[in-house]
Amino acid sequence: MILKEKANHISFKDWMRIHVQSPMPIGVYVCHCGLNIAGVLNMDELKSFSEKLPDVVIARDLPFSCSDIGQEQIQKDVADFKLDRVVVAACSPRLHEPTFRRAITKAGLNPYMLEMANIREQCSWVHMDQPAMATQKAKDLIRMAVAKAALLQPLESATIPVSRDVLVVGGGVAGIQAALDLADSGQHVYLVERRPTIGGYMALLTDVFPTNDCSICVLAPKMSDVYNHPLITLMIYSEILGVEGSVGNFRVSGVKKARFVDLKKCKGCINECAGVCPVEVPSEYNFGIGKRKAIYVPFPQAVPQVACVDPQACIGCARCIEACPADAVNFEEKQEEFKLTVGAIIVATGWQPFDATRKEEYGFGRHRDVITSLQLERMLNAAGPTRGEVVRPSTGEIAGSIAFLQCVGSRDATVGNIYCSRICCMASLKNAQLVKEKYPDTEITIHYIDIRAGGEGYEEFYLRAQKLGINFVRARVSEIDEEDGSLYLNFEDTLSSSFRRVKYDLAVLSIGLEPDKNAEVLGNLLGLSRRTDGFFEIAHPKMRPVEAHIDGVFIAGCASGPKEIQTSIAQGSAAAAKAMRLLSKGEIELEPTSAYVDRDLCTQCKLCEDVCPKRAISVKSPALVDEAACKGCGSCAAACPVDAIQMRLFSDQQILAQIRAATEEKSEFPLIVAFLCNWCSYGAADLAGTSRIQYPTNARNIRVMCAGRVDPSFILEALQRGADGVLVAGCRLGECHYVKGNYQALQRVEVLKGVLEKIGINPGRVKIVWCAASEGDIFAKDIKQFVQELKEMGPIGTELKEALPGA
Amino acid sequence: MSPVKGDAKFTNEVLRLAGLEVRTCIQCGTCSAACPTAHLMDNSIRRLVKFSLEGRKEEALASSSVWLCTSCLLCTVRCPRGIRPKVLVGALRDIFEREGRKDKDQAYEDLFMRQIMDLGRISEALLSAEYLLADPASAVQTMEMGLELLPKGKITVQKDRIKGTDEVKSIFAELGKG
Repeated sequence: MILKEKANHISFKDWMRIHVQSPMPIGVYVCHCGLNIAGVLNMDELKSFSEKLPDVVIARDLPFSCSDIGQEQIQKDVADFKLDRVVVAACSPRLHEPTFRRAITKAGLNPYMLEMANIREQCSWVHMDQPAMATQKAKDLIRMAVAKAALLQPLESATIPVSRDVLVVGGGVAGIQAALDLADSGQHVYLVERRPTIGGYMALLTDVFPTNDCSICVLAPKMSDVYNHPLITLMIYSEILGVEGSVGNFRVSGVKKARFVDLKKCKGCINECAGVCPVEVPSEYNFGIGKRKAIYVPFPQAVPQVACVDPQACIGCARCIEACPADAVNFEEKQEEFKLTVGAIIVATGWQPFDATRKEEYGFGRHRDVITSLQLERMLNAAGPTRGEVVRPSTGEIAGSIAFLQCVGSRDATVGNIYCSRICCMASLKNAQLVKEKYPDTEITIHYIDIRAGGEGYEEFYLRAQKLGINFVRARVSEIDEEDGSLYLNFEDTLSSSFRRVKYDLAVLSIGLEPDKNAEVLGNLLGLSRRTDGFFEIAHPKMRPVEAHIDGVFIAGCASGPKEIQTSIAQGSAAAAKAMRLLSKGEIELEPTSAYVDRDLCTQCKLCEDVCPKRAISVKSPALVDEAACKGCGSCAAACPVDAIQMRLFSDQQILAQIRAATEEKSEFPLIVAFLCNWCSYGAADLAGTSRIQYPTNARNIRVMCAGRVDPSFILEALQRGADGVLVAGCRLGECHYVKGNYQALQRVEVLKGVLEKIGINPGRVKIVWCAASEGDIFAKDIKQFVQELKEMGPIGTELKEALPGA
Repeated sequence: MSPVKGDAKFTNEVLRLAGLEVRTCIQCGTCSAACPTAHLMDNSIRRLVKFSLEGRKEEALASSSVWLCTSCLLCTVRCPRGIRPKVLVGALRDIFEREGRKDKDQAYEDLFMRQIMDLGRISEALLSAEYLLADPASAVQTMEMGLELLPKGKITVQKDRIKGTDEVKSIFAELGKG
């Protein structure tokens, strides 16, 4: 009530401010937040300080600005004082920026005409025992906010229409699941598969853990559903060669390879054509054991059940053409190009097996009885080359003793794969059980480093293998040698510290999973980043398991790392749900925080293309920002040598205005201008506040979206204007929300330090630190330490005076 | 002293000399299974790594394995963790010598090195003779094999000296082992 009465009375001074002084009237609201702020800071002083700032026509202190009463007061002032921008000095914008944006929108302002000064988390709560200095800091923060507010521009968030179609790349179990979930929900799917059949590796396995049910029996119905679904366009034997555009409107081009067999005419009888084909080559679908003809169906349950001619193997004798009763074989068939427009892309490109010949000491390819786990899968498969019998390739006899060697190509720095392939322990436990059940007298030993059986029913599965009488030796086999036609394994049984050389009929190498080389093209086209292990990186290692860094691109299954069938299926479904969520409305809203290019200034140097983590900027005489793809990190703006790129919400002018405001009155020594990235270090500074961790008052914080936004010219401006030090704080290395913005910041700061040193400024005045949003204590410690370091250095310029003789 | 860490100073010294990656050992036994002299050792290379990491200094330094390593490097080539077990053995030898310890296997190593330094090569006959004097009990055990090698021409009787023994000496001096 008191507030209302006050507001109704407009003094002459106020009238002058509105109508004469300011072309852009600003209202400043200093929040008490009960005693959270008012208990430390001098509110009267802040209010009267704010009133005097340029363009400010009204300043008030409000008990709780976020309350309905507080918001109504702001809305009323907007009307009464014809405010066109508002500054709220209160809590963190990460908490209440949306609240106040909504409030001013209701009053008829553009939501982006708001700026907040964080005087709670980053001031009153962290300087509780220094009220005078804290009040001084709050004044600076308000001055900085007002300076930025004066340069705010109204922004409109645009919506763009999107294609609701989804492209799924990869017809393995993850891709199949994603395609079916999308299509069953009414969305049209293009499923592109590189090979002549869908099904992936799962279609080739025998029984699968932990239930030992037949792999193809559970997969085949799904394969056939895909083939028959009216909303799935199956693009088999096809590859993607181009991707343009961004989320909502990806323009994809590719090619459908020539199969030389008419999909519609072929009945899949195969015996007629393959029966007369004179060419035999090793079958890739049996991993080299067993042969196929130049015209072939990959495996009996292939979908589509249509023959395919291998152009590399075919000698062109045309006997298959004559033999085919359906007249389906056509050597004249040409590859066809295709173009699609889709709203989202699901990458389910899978994995490739480790090449066992790289482990020379195991003799794969040299000793015939050394086979891979995938070859054993095919042997155990009733439809495989040995019809389910486990034989020694050298003799064709049933193997009487079998050794499994774990971690071949996994957990091995010598081949560059330090990761665990996650499925091989369970796969060997399963295969050992299958062999033991089929041949109870066969002696089976699994040589392992650690048995990893972490999953529902997995430990029980291990137990079952032990009960079946399978031997376990904790050893990593060092070498396999051959003597008189028998294999000998050399290893140290590490639990009994004994060296062993043991003879086996058959050695099975449990080969690991590697990133599929064939997926590299697609990865490059989409701009997907890779982890050090080579698999595609997901947007967050925990919280966003199926999203790529690129908007509208999702990753499912082994493309993002080795995983079992169950998890691949879960990821296929998850990726489908994410794509539906994105596209279901038929349009998407764009954040208006993107970059834009002053096309007259652009010199087409392409530096921006290199730094953009989203591939959102491309230099096409001159540079152009795809605003749907841009996430507003600002690294391009920092990289641009001619300042042709600007950020809509964090423009150079706005940030420079904040820097000038921070250094306008050097209110304490050392004065630090600190740039904090929105996601981590700003969060850490807020957390230091909510945890009431006390640290010195010297920093004047400027929020940026990413440490990569910090243009070296900002740092120079701060130092030139008298800041004693500049702090750049980003996410921990490797955890940047824009993938590599913090590395780019580090690089720029390092270069700048070199320049500073050359001109005689102590490079220690610029400091770059990393803290996660959970590391409030680390942020506080960094500030404390930096203040101490700067105290030792003395005020800015000390080093220049010292360098002058006689000074 | 921590029950697991043992003599932490010893562990740290081994890690300093052999590399921090030794900490990443998974005790898989690839090194010892690859080792051509493992069957002669009381403790395998794998166990030397374990002893070193657990600060079990006396057990590590008393192992014959420290002196039986032939530096063939197979352990180092095959280690899946990129550890250099051979360098770890070298570290243990360094620590052993620095502390002025004596060992029968180390006595042989000493004689061996002394000859290389003096002659630039090994004179098997001279080495056997010196070893017999230094450690008669051990030398007698190996004498039988020596006698077998003699008629096969594997043991030279004359005392050879290579050209440039000064350079060999300077190599030793460079390594601080003069």
